[in-house]
Amino acid sequence: MGSNRRFMIGLVGVAAVVTWLVWTGVSDTMTYFLTPSEYVERLDADPSFRQVGVRIGAVLVPESYEQGAGELEHHFLVHDADDPSVTFPVRYVGVLPDTFNDAPDMVTETVIEGRFDEDGVFDATVLLTKCGSRYEADPEQLRAMNEREHPAG
Amino acid sequence: MNILGELALWISLPIAVWGTALGFIGGRRQRGDLVLSAERTVYVTFGLIALASLGVIDTFLNDRFEYWYVANYSSSTLPTFYKVAGLWAGQRGSLLFWLLLLCLFSVLAVWSNRRKNREFMPYVIGTLMVLQTFFIVVLLFAAVNPFERLGFTPVDGAGLNPQLQNYWMTIHPPTLYLGFTAFTIPFAFAMAALFSGRLDSRWILLTRKWILLSWFFLANGIIFGMRWAYEELGWGGYWFWDPVENASLLPWLTATAFLHSVQIQESRGMLKVWNMGLVVATFVLTIFATFLTRSGLIESVHTFAENTTIAFIFLGFMSLVIAVAAVMILYRLPLLKSANQIESFISRESAFLFNNLILVATTFAVMWGTLLPLLSEGFLGQEISVGPAFFNRVNVPFGIAILFLMGVGPVIAWRRASKRNLQKNFLVPTGVGLTAAAVLWMAGARVGLSVMTFGIAAFVLWVIGVEFWKGTRARARIEGEGLLPAFYHLVMRNRRRWGGYIVHVAIVILFTAFAAAPWYTEIRQTLEPGESATIESPLGGTYTLTYEGLSTNFNDVEDNLAWQAVALLSASKDGVPLPPMSAEKRGYIRPAGSTSTEVAIRATPVEDLYVTLADVNTRLVQAGVNDPTQQTATFTFMVKPLVSWIWASAFVLTIGALIGMWPGGQGIPSARSTGAEARTPSPAPTGD
Amino acid sequence: MLLVTGLIVIGVVAWVVLEPIMRGRAASLERSDDEVSEVEAVRRVRLLALRDTEYDYHMGKLDDADFAALKRELTAEALEAMKAVEEEASTRGGRSSRAEVEAEVAALRRGLRDGSACTRCARMNPSGSRFCASCGTALHLSGSTSA
Repeated sequence: MGSNRRFMIGLVGVAAVVTWLVWTGVSDTMTYFLTPSEYVERLDADPSFRQVGVRIGAVLVPESYEQGAGELEHHFLVHDADDPSVTFPVRYVGVLPDTFNDAPDMVTETVIEGRFDEDGVFDATVLLTKCGSRYEADPEQLRAMNEREHPAG
Repeated sequence: MNILGELALWISLPIAVWGTALGFIGGRRQRGDLVLSAERTVYVTFGLIALASLGVIDTFLNDRFEYWYVANYSSSTLPTFYKVAGLWAGQRGSLLFWLLLLCLFSVLAVWSNRRKNREFMPYVIGTLMVLQTFFIVVLLFAAVNPFERLGFTPVDGAGLNPQLQNYWMTIHPPTLYLGFTAFTIPFAFAMAALFSGRLDSRWILLTRKWILLSWFFLANGIIFGMRWAYEELGWGGYWFWDPVENASLLPWLTATAFLHSVQIQESRGMLKVWNMGLVVATFVLTIFATFLTRSGLIESVHTFAENTTIAFIFLGFMSLVIAVAAVMILYRLPLLKSANQIESFISRESAFLFNNLILVATTFAVMWGTLLPLLSEGFLGQEISVGPAFFNRVNVPFGIAILFLMGVGPVIAWRRASKRNLQKNFLVPTGVGLTAAAVLWMAGARVGLSVMTFGIAAFVLWVIGVEFWKGTRARARIEGEGLLPAFYHLVMRNRRRWGGYIVHVAIVILFTAFAAAPWYTEIRQTLEPGESATIESPLGGTYTLTYEGLSTNFNDVEDNLAWQAVALLSASKDGVPLPPMSAEKRGYIRPAGSTSTEVAIRATPVEDLYVTLADVNTRLVQAGVNDPTQQTATFTFMVKPLVSWIWASAFVLTIGALIGMWPGGQGIPSARSTGAEARTPSPAPTGD
Repeated sequence: MLLVTGLIVIGVVAWVVLEPIMRGRAASLERSDDEVSEVEAVRRVRLLALRDTEYDYHMGKLDDADFAALKRELTAEALEAMKAVEEEASTRGGRSSRAEVEAEVAALRRGLRDGSACTRCARMNPSGSRFCASCGTALHLSGSTSA
C-alpha cells in the first residue's frame, strides 16, 4: 500500500530525528554528577580533571555559612553525605535559594555546579538546595534538637 | 481518633485482599454473590481509608508529636490551614492521600455502574482492589506508615518546609493526585476488557470521560505547580525540568496521545493494541510520578538511598503491571485486530498518527533525560546528568511540530483529503502565519524558534477561528438559524470536537507565552532607602522603582514567623505612578532557621514586573535591630512578558475540557429506548 | 472503650462484606437490556461519521467528487449497521416480525436520504421537520445536503 509505505517512512523519520536530538542533546549538555569523595578521587588520579565542569551532590556543613566580601558573595562548606571527613569550601555569587539553611541539625542537600579555582575553593555557578519536604530527619536528630532547645523537657 | 485511624488502615488490608480475590474469582466463575461481596469491599475500604486519613489529620491538629510524621512536618506554631494540608505534605501522608482518592474514585466508578456494564464490573473491582491492596501494603510495610511512633514525645515538631506554606502548594498536589488517581478507572476498565475478552468499542466509550477528567486534573495540576514555582521560588521561572516536574508531565503526554488516537479507534476500528498500550503506559507513569514525587530517588541517589524498600516495591509493582498487561494483550491479540486501514496519507487520521508519534517521542526524550543519572550510574558506573539545556533543545522542536499539527488536523477531512482542497484551505492561514512571523521579525524579535512559534500560533488560531466561523455559518445556512444559536448548537452537538478546539486554543496561548520567555529583562541592584532603580520593559517603556525603606516585624507566632523584613517600593512606568509594591524576606519559627522570599509581582496582560528582595541584612533584622542606616537591600528586578497568559490558558483549557466532559456530548444517546420509539408510529405521518 | 469501638468496626465491616455470600444475594453479571450493544455502537459511529463528513463538505474540506464518493461509502456502511441492529433485535426475540423490520429499514433508509431521520438518535421525524422530536437535534434537509 502506498500510504502504508509513506507511514513507515514518516515513522522512521520521526524516530531518526528523536534519536539524533537526544543523542546530540546528551553529548552537548551532559555533566558528570559526582559525590565529593568521587570527585576528589578523580582529581587525585587525573589533575587535568580540574578543568572539567562538574555537578556535585553534597551536604551543607551546618553553621559554615559566611557572607563574602562582594555583593551577593557567599562562602560555605560542603561534605560528602556518606563520609563527612571529605569536605571542601565553596564560593557562590548569586541569590541564595530559600531552602539554603545551615542551622544545626539540618541536613541540607546541595547540588553545586562549577569547578575548583587555584585556591582550592569550588567556584559554583549553580547552587540548588533540596526542598526540605524530601528530606526527613531521623529520630536521633529530632531527639537531639528537642534536647538542645528544651533542656527541661 | 488517631488509634481508630491506624486500626482502620490495618483492617483495610484483609478487606482489600478479599475484594481482589472475590472480584476475580466471582468474574471467572460468574458468581453474583461473590461479586456483590467484592463490590461491598469498595465502599468499605473507602470508609476505612477516610477514617485513617481523618486519623492523620487529627494527629496534626492536636500536635501529636510522638508521631514521626507529625514531628517531621508540623510544629505547634503551624497555622491550622497548613496542618490540615499536612496530610499531603510528605511522602507518608501523600501515599495515604493517594489511596484515599483512589478509594473515592473506585466508589464513584462502582456506584455509577451498579446497574450497568455488569459484565466488566467483577474485573474492574478486582483491578481496583489490587491497586488498593498495593498502596495499603506500602503504607503498612515499606517504612512509610504515617502512624509510626518515635518512641518519645518531642516538645515541638521540626516544622513544615516554608516553601510548602503557600496557597498554591495546598492545591497543586491534590489536583495532580486527582489526575493520577482518576486514571486508575480507565486502566481498570481496560484491564477488565482484557480479562473478560469484551474488547469491542465498549470499554473505550465507558472510559472516555474518565480519561478526559484525569487529563484535565493533570493539566491544571501541572499549571498550578508552575504558578507555585513562579511565586515561591523567586527565580522568575516556572519550569525547571526538575525530575519531579518531568514525572508529572509524562502521564499527561501519553494521556494526550490517547485522547487523539482513541478517536481513530472509535471511528475506524484501528490502533486497538496501541491504545491499550497507551492506557497501560499512562497508568504506569502515574504510579511512577507518585513514586518519584515523594521519594527523591533521582536527584539524591547518593545521599538518601536508605529507604530502598519502597523503591523496590514500586519498581516491582510497575514491572508486574506491565508484565500482566503485556501478557493479556498478547493473549487477546486475535480480538484486537484492526478493522480497517488508513486510506490516505493526507487525512485527519494521518495527522493524529503523527501527533501520537511526536507525543510518545517527547515522552521518551523526557524520560531519558530524567532517568539518565540512574541509567548511567547503572550501566556506566558513572553518573551523568543533563539539565534544562538538554530538555529545551529536544522538546522545543517537538512542541513546535505538535503546534503545527494542531493547525493541520482541523483543515483536513477524515479518511481522505484531496490536495486541491488542502491547498485552498491552507493558503490563507499559512499567509497569516508567515505575515505574523515576518512582522515580528521586522519589529526586532530575532529569536528564530520563538518567532517560528508565534507564526505557527497565528496559523493555528486562524485555522481554528475559521473552523468555528465556517461551522457556524454552515449550520446557520442548513438550519436557517441565527448565527448565535447556530454557534451554540454547533458546539453542543459535538462537544468533544469543539471543546477540543478550545483546548487547542489554550495550548496555543501557553506555547506563545513560553516562546515569549527569552525577551525578559533583569537587573540586580543594591539600594539605600530613597534610591531608585530603572528597568526597561522588553515591550517598550521604563519602570522606575524607588526603595522607600524596610519595615520589620518579629515573632508573629500566629503565622509561624520568627521575623519579617518587608521592603517597600514605589513604582512608576514612564512617569505614570503604579500601586506600591512590597518584596519580602521572612524567617520561620519552625523549621528553625528556614527562610523564604516572598516576591512582589505586578501582573498585566502583557508583562509582569517581578521584584525579589535578594539580600538584606537579615542578621540585624533577626537581632531585632531596625536601624534606618542599615537598611541597604539588594533587589532583583525582572520584566517578564506574557506570563499571565500561562495562567489564562488554564482557564481556557478548563472551559474546553468542561465542554468536552459535559454529560451527553458527542451525540450518542443511550438509544435502545429511542430506537424503540422509532418503531412506534410517529404522531404525525412520516412523509413517505 | 477503644477496644469496643474497634470490635464494632471490625464486626460491621465483616458483616457488610460477608452478608451477600451468607444470604446468597447476588449482583447482576449480565449486560442489562437497555445498554448499547456493539452493533448499536457501530451504527451510531457510522451515523456520526456521515454527519461529520457532511459538515466537512460544507466547510470546504472536501471537494464535490470526494464528498460524493465518501458519502456513498458511508451511507452504505450506515445502512449495513442499521440492518445489523435490526437483525440483532429480531434474533433476540424482539417484537418486530421480519416484514416489519424490513419496512422499518426501508423507512429509515428513505428517512436518512431525505433528511427526516435523525442522524443522532435515528428517530423518524415528520418530513420537513427542522429538529428531531426525540432529541432536539437539527435535521439536515435533503435539498441542502445532497451533492
